[in-house]
Amino acid sequence: MSLLRVEQVSKHFGGLVANHEVSFNLEEGEVMGLIGPNGAGKTTLFNCIAGFYPPTSGTVRFNGEDITGLKDFQVARRGLARTFQIFEASGDLKVVENVMVGSFIHTGSRRRARRTAESTLEFLGIAEAAGAMMTELPVAAQKRVALATALASDPKLLLLDEVGAGLNPSEIEGLVGLLQRIHREKGISLLLTEHVLEMVMAMSHRVIVLESGKKIAEGEPSEVVKDPEVVRAYLGDHYVKRQEREEGRDA
Amino acid sequence: MEAVKNALDFSDLPKSELGIAVVVLAFLVSFPAMPHSSFAMATMIQFLMFSLYGMGWNLIGGYGGQVDLGKAQYVGIGAYTTAVMMIRWDVPFWFSLPVGMGLAVGWSFVIGYPLFRLKGHYFAIATIATSLVLKDLFEVWDFVGGARGLEIPLKGSFPDWLYLQFREDFYYYYILLVMFLIGLLYVNAFRHSRLGFQLRAIKDNEHVARSLGIDVHWSKIKAYATATAFVAAVGSFHACYNFNIEPEDVMSLDLSVLIAMMAMLGGAGSIWGPIIGAAILVPMKNYLGDWLGGQAGLAGMDLALYGLIIMVIAAVQPRGVYGIVEAVRARRR
Repeated sequence: MSLLRVEQVSKHFGGLVANHEVSFNLEEGEVMGLIGPNGAGKTTLFNCIAGFYPPTSGTVRFNGEDITGLKDFQVARRGLARTFQIFEASGDLKVVENVMVGSFIHTGSRRRARRTAESTLEFLGIAEAAGAMMTELPVAAQKRVALATALASDPKLLLLDEVGAGLNPSEIEGLVGLLQRIHREKGISLLLTEHVLEMVMAMSHRVIVLESGKKIAEGEPSEVVKDPEVVRAYLGDHYVKRQEREEGRDA
Repeated sequence: MEAVKNALDFSDLPKSELGIAVVVLAFLVSFPAMPHSSFAMATMIQFLMFSLYGMGWNLIGGYGGQVDLGKAQYVGIGAYTTAVMMIRWDVPFWFSLPVGMGLAVGWSFVIGYPLFRLKGHYFAIATIATSLVLKDLFEVWDFVGGARGLEIPLKGSFPDWLYLQFREDFYYYYILLVMFLIGLLYVNAFRHSRLGFQLRAIKDNEHVARSLGIDVHWSKIKAYATATAFVAAVGSFHACYNFNIEPEDVMSLDLSVLIAMMAMLGGAGSIWGPIIGAAILVPMKNYLGDWLGGQAGLAGMDLALYGLIIMVIAAVQPRGVYGIVEAVRARRR
């Protein structure tokens, strides 16, 4: 049984078709990448899966249950956590308190929530920041806290929307290592969007490519990058034709 | 069990604050034994009442970030429940108190369910509207005395602990002080509770809160109902303390605004904020208002001064006096 089954999901905003009949399965323990050029509909698809808004048509099944049309907080309680692309740190909460909000999903006890939060921070290597205010931290650390908060809710599947955005190459490297540990040691399945392609390619078992709201390719990263449709989506018709010409000359 | 532990756990607050709190508490306990005027006693009683109103307001307005300008309707429900039950059915204060709180909480669900579909300023405006409508209804409702209000008859024997009728104000003062301490411990427990954390997350970012499994709408309603219980309890007390209640007095917009203003001035979203706010504004309202009222042409100037204070606070430090204290402390570190 697949952990996540997305069947024929479409999302329209008025006349705009953001997603058109997208289907895919994500198996338990899998790391899957969702890529595509800007505006391909990646975040919309995430939002439909996470219950941020309902899809116009199609169904989403999680862990065997039809979750189409459930509210985002109901989906979260079933073990599907997410991070947001735009993350604004603000406010009153210390780092550890922020993470505790995540752990309160399964317990009413402050003691237990605090213990979960502290061990999660430790796992992500930011235990020393526990007492700091969010606004005092650099962006990379804030993103780790957001990740910790999602992790503290003990999810089965984690949707990561552009976690690498705004980070420098060495920070991305650290993040990849971290996500791989999350996957390996906690056994959490990952679905990530990214337009930093190296990151997705390095991590994913399988990749799905969206363009203009439609799925145009699916497969292992090494296969997908060779797919002419994908090359065309990323680099344009012009490039594909030139490549074909050059290949013809070589032969 | 853990709630009790949470209520008594002040360990996350700085030592200096706890020191000041102990000194203030010692002062509050010993105040009636010190020489004082009856005006000062009345001011202290008002300070305790407004501290409690502010603590209630702070649960939803401070921790939850939902600015509520309609708290007076719940003061009214508490006060009227106690007065009506006492006058018509001779029910003692201690029985009408929970009934008043229950009615107010029930009404808060009726109001909260639709109103929390609104956000920000729209929510604030809607709370004003519901409160004013309820006040207008009470003004034409003969059962509760209409616009003239109700007067609780004296039983004649003092001190009367059942009906809360005392000749000396210090009885009222100590009853209120006990309520104040219970309120403070409750807020402390709330702050540490799951709902408290969830509300602060909601104030931070509703989308993120929802993605962490928080039912934002329902959490707001629950906190609003809790806040209501505080306010209604003080309303019930107010009826006995004043003997005389009328809609213009216990349900007015002025009262709602004053409650919100004190909490915001002191520091919304902090445990001490409403107390600091009441400690500044209540004496100012009484002494300054009194003095200005005696000067020709200056009557009402205190209201203009409140407005000025709010503007300065909003511009300089939205987290109020307590926010200033925190900022100074952060700079010293």
